[in-house]
Amino acid sequence: MGLFFFFFFPPPDNIHLKGTETPISSSENRFSSSLLCVCVFRCPWLAVTICPAVPPCCAVLFLFVLANFTMATFMDAGVLPVAGEDEDKEDEFRAPLYKNVDVKGVQVRMKWCASCHFYRPPRCSHCSVCDHCVEDFDHHCPWVNNCIGRRNYRYFFLFLLSLTFHMIAVFTFGLVYVLHHADDLWKLHCLITLVVISISGLFLIPVLGLTGFHLYLVSRGRTTNEQVTGKFQGGINPFSRGCCSNMEYLLHYTLLAKSLPPFLRPEVDRQMAVKIRDNGIQSLAIQNKVCLSDIKQPKNPPPPLPPKPDRGLLKSQVAVLDGAQHCVFLCLDTQLLKTSEQQGINKGPDLGSNTRESPARGSHQAGAPVSAPLQPSTVSSSLQLNSLTLSSRSLTLKHSSRNGSKSQLLSMNPDGLGSNSSPGIITTSSLLANQCSGSSNSKPSYDNLVRPSDPQFMVQRGAPPVSYHTHFMGLGTDGAVQRFLQRDSSPSIATRDIPPSGLVKRDLTSQGLQDNLRDLYPHDVSLPMSAAARYDNFSKTIMASIQERREQEERERMLRVSARSQVLYGPDVGIYDIPSRRSLPPDNIRPPGSRGPTPPAYGSREFLMSTGILGYGIRTSPLSSSSTSSLTRGPKTSSSPLQSSSSSLQSKGRPTSPAYCPPERHAQGPPSSTSTLPRLSSSAYPTPPYTSYATAKRSSLPFPSEGKESVSLGALK
Amino acid sequence: SSKFHNLQDMQHTASLVTKVFIQRDYSEGTVCRFQTKFPAELDNRIERALLEQTVKTLNSYYVEAEKVGGQSYLEGCLACATAYIVFLCMETRYEKVLKKISGYIQEQNEKIYAPRGLLLTDPIERGMRVLEISVFEDRGSSGSSPSSSMSSCSTAR
Repeated sequence: MGLFFFFFFPPPDNIHLKGTETPISSSENRFSSSLLCVCVFRCPWLAVTICPAVPPCCAVLFLFVLANFTMATFMDAGVLPVAGEDEDKEDEFRAPLYKNVDVKGVQVRMKWCASCHFYRPPRCSHCSVCDHCVEDFDHHCPWVNNCIGRRNYRYFFLFLLSLTFHMIAVFTFGLVYVLHHADDLWKLHCLITLVVISISGLFLIPVLGLTGFHLYLVSRGRTTNEQVTGKFQGGINPFSRGCCSNMEYLLHYTLLAKSLPPFLRPEVDRQMAVKIRDNGIQSLAIQNKVCLSDIKQPKNPPPPLPPKPDRGLLKSQVAVLDGAQHCVFLCLDTQLLKTSEQQGINKGPDLGSNTRESPARGSHQAGAPVSAPLQPSTVSSSLQLNSLTLSSRSLTLKHSSRNGSKSQLLSMNPDGLGSNSSPGIITTSSLLANQCSGSSNSKPSYDNLVRPSDPQFMVQRGAPPVSYHTHFMGLGTDGAVQRFLQRDSSPSIATRDIPPSGLVKRDLTSQGLQDNLRDLYPHDVSLPMSAAARYDNFSKTIMASIQERREQEERERMLRVSARSQVLYGPDVGIYDIPSRRSLPPDNIRPPGSRGPTPPAYGSREFLMSTGILGYGIRTSPLSSSSTSSLTRGPKTSSSPLQSSSSSLQSKGRPTSPAYCPPERHAQGPPSSTSTLPRLSSSAYPTPPYTSYATAKRSSLPFPSEGKESVSLGALK
Repeated sequence: SSKFHNLQDMQHTASLVTKVFIQRDYSEGTVCRFQTKFPAELDNRIERALLEQTVKTLNSYYVEAEKVGGQSYLEGCLACATAYIVFLCMETRYEKVLKKISGYIQEQNEKIYAPRGLLLTDPIERGMRVLEISVFEDRGSSGSSPSSSMSSCSTAR
């Protein structure tokens, strides 16, 4: 009798860690092992009857199946580590969602990955199951429980091929055996073989189909992802080298390096922490990083998943809402204060010094949208306090929030949190707005905040995004506040999934109010959640709620605006007009190649509206024109129609809205407001250069008006 | 120019001003190639020719690493034949070239970049996605306080 090979293939560790269906891989293994058993059982007979070479060939084939399966399972697919915080400081909020790159003459779009913070290289895609970007992403295979990408596609393909042949062999030889023993059909040995034949025949069909599919893909030089999304359906595939070359490349493209992936090993992170963060927080940061990276260290052998590095999107909110980074919070008064401000706004001042409470409060706040009256004193005091520790907050939070994603999240459900917090945020902002409109006292306080915080930020950030603040300096009016809100909230709706992170980063040196607003913003969206789908859901929910809020606020504001006197607007115009004058460091002239600052779309639309309503002329201030010229997107095209149409209107010196026109793709702006805007603005308003990028997300967005925007945008562009 | 004489000195004593990222050049597909465009931020820190030379050399190394044919054929066949066990014992050509690259980067750092207060990070650590150049404060030109140097750098930009 043959040997009884009981081959139990232990499921890889990553199966458990990733939480995917464990049984699949193991069952497949058991299946193949049982096949092998039966095969082996029959081998002697087969060797005698058909050919002595049968058993060795079958054994080799089976070994080949196993080897390729192992490699496909354990080999890193080409994971791209998350970008460090320093890399995307320019990109986060103001950058467009897509960047075009020319590949062999074909324009390929690189999308911004919100979780990983870089523009995905061509053919790269983000795997929601594994939560990282993979080069040449093919698909995430549940059977091997691993992403199939650049480095392991070869093994996956060979696994499929060999498995097909193996199953065909088992089926064929089993059939031969049964046919040969037809008269003994109901005896045990035949029955077992029949069972095996039927199972293998049953599984052969899908495996054969999949193999054929991948053969087709290889011949066309596409990945599964590209095939499924229809990327190169009609056009040329610049990545294909021709059928034969593709095959050759597939089989011989051995990008195997044992020392490869572990991108960002913990030691590296620690060193970086020492180098970069030379404030007192660094020890905490390192500690966080280390402990979190340890937590995140899922697989031991070859392809360790890159631990989510410490960077964070500077998500103070995340930290707040997260609540898991207690050690981080301990050193951050700002955290507390920001949270307390939220709380103060929402629930009444509770400036307890226990930072640990802040996460809880954050959750409370998220869960219980605004009900408490706004407390101006609390706000201003908290803001002042915020500025003191802003710098420390920035880095550490960035660091912590990143790590705090999966393992650190408290019982809070990110989705629910996000959806809950967005109303809270908006309401908070509106409350603030009311507060601000009621008294202009808050204005000076913000100014005071800015100055002291600036040097700190300079220290921390090295190259503070000075020019970014400009549009957020105007405080003291509900309009300004709303603008902040808009800016904060719009990113969520914006094309990038996690704009707030960039927003947060950008405004490090700006006022505490901004920070607070950002804090209020549901930054947990930016958490590297394990399922990218959550981002979509999150943004949907948020967007829906934000849309409602915006509509409400717009109505309110219109009422307020109309009720205001010109005098009131007088001084404020200066703010809006030349925001940078406020108290910012001088350098707001951006280098030519950089993207322009992102004025909140909402705010500028609002301006447009109010301008149209009140009959203020649109005057292009020198600053705004200069900023317009530095913008990479084309607000200029829209400014002229606006100006021409409003030139007849009396001039109150309203700044040109294009100056605040978001050159950025992110601030999607209130799509709902588009419908409420006068026709003038909706057709001429350049807002949505970014909404065109939003089209990608439109399917997940409940905004029908976006279509109009992108159409008008296309015309503008 | 700053007076860093070795990498250790620079890493542990200097404070990071900013990081410059040289992106990948995808004009020829997904082969690993970095842009040779000189980043503006390094204008006063290093000569263009030096950086260009470094990037070009790196590109050539990557081309060599990913070249299909010859040794990679043999390795592929051998690996298949041995059920990939050979990978446990043998270092593939790709790995060898990667090691060569990191040695080259180390050497470049020591000879050229560290004396100028710069530090190249091996692209492999960033997933071959960017070439990261850390810019440290230029001790020779500015004051000792990090904030002043950073502010001067930021305003200069």
